[in-house]
Amino acid sequence: MPEERSKQDACPPRARFVRGLKLGLPIFLGYAPIGAAFGIVARGLGFTPLQAAICSGTALAGAGQLIALQLLGAGAGAVAVVFTTAIVNLRYVLFGAAMSQHVTGMSLPRQAFLAFTLTDETFAVNIDDSRRGTADFASMAGVGVIAWTGWVLGSAAGALAAGAIGDPTRFGVQFAMPAMFTALLVAQAEDRTHVLTAVVAALFAIGLMLILPDPWYLIVAPVLAATVATVVSR
Amino acid sequence: MSGRIIWAVIIGMAVVNFAIRFPSIAILSRTELPAWAKRWLSYIPVSAMATLVVGGVIRPDGQWLGPLENPYLWASGVTGLVYWRFRSFLGATIVGVVCFLAFTALLG
Repeated sequence: MPEERSKQDACPPRARFVRGLKLGLPIFLGYAPIGAAFGIVARGLGFTPLQAAICSGTALAGAGQLIALQLLGAGAGAVAVVFTTAIVNLRYVLFGAAMSQHVTGMSLPRQAFLAFTLTDETFAVNIDDSRRGTADFASMAGVGVIAWTGWVLGSAAGALAAGAIGDPTRFGVQFAMPAMFTALLVAQAEDRTHVLTAVVAALFAIGLMLILPDPWYLIVAPVLAATVATVVSR
Repeated sequence: MSGRIIWAVIIGMAVVNFAIRFPSIAILSRTELPAWAKRWLSYIPVSAMATLVVGGVIRPDGQWLGPLENPYLWASGVTGLVYWRFRSFLGATIVGVVCFLAFTALLG
């Protein structure tokens, strides 16, 4: 798409960054309340608001962080907690591999920045945007920055106002992630092959949840479904 | 909880999460992959999102929920339809959360 490419090149980096911020705005709105839920629970376990914000700002680990709190609350040691969050987030190895094909030719520091802000949602939004031929480092960085900001601000606000907010589930916070995943799934299901791949992945996920300990299905189901799709579509 | 454990967890998670995310991007973007591997990777996003949806919707918080007692499932259906029809990530997410609250009230 040379025409699109030249249009993109004509657009200054700042405008492309702002475009990324806009693309990622729904992630901000989804992350802020979940981050607040993290902040509230973290505060209850003895984190200061600053520690809750630093944890979110440096790990950006979503569900991994919430599970870490559960384990800390149950009395687990630091090594066990870190190890478990690593297993929960092992799927990012796979996401990074898929992402790698959209960031070829980018410098290592830029790739490091995108890796730092790689989450389920930034991954799906950036891949979707890349497939349209409209993504570049500036737009991807915009998506990452706005997602990071939502997660960190939410965590800080939750930790600071833990007493005033109370139970965040009454606002439907627990559905924010599944809602984003659902929209992003529909965005990825661009043709019949991808729809069928999604169905196969869903079936694998259900089967694997029954037989494997958590959270292995998160990494095994996509690997199996992508393999089936590759073999069948050959 | 002691401040030392909290700091150890914060630092450990920061290091581990970056170490998980970075190498595959850095190495594979500099490697010429065969066509089948590229195709395989192109199916990862849709497979991963389907897996995340199933995990979060059919078995929220690790608990299996049947269709008639599952507000997540119905709200997810509406979210998907809204996104499919309007192509608005933000709109679909907001409608989804509102529907989730409504279905939670309805299904008890």
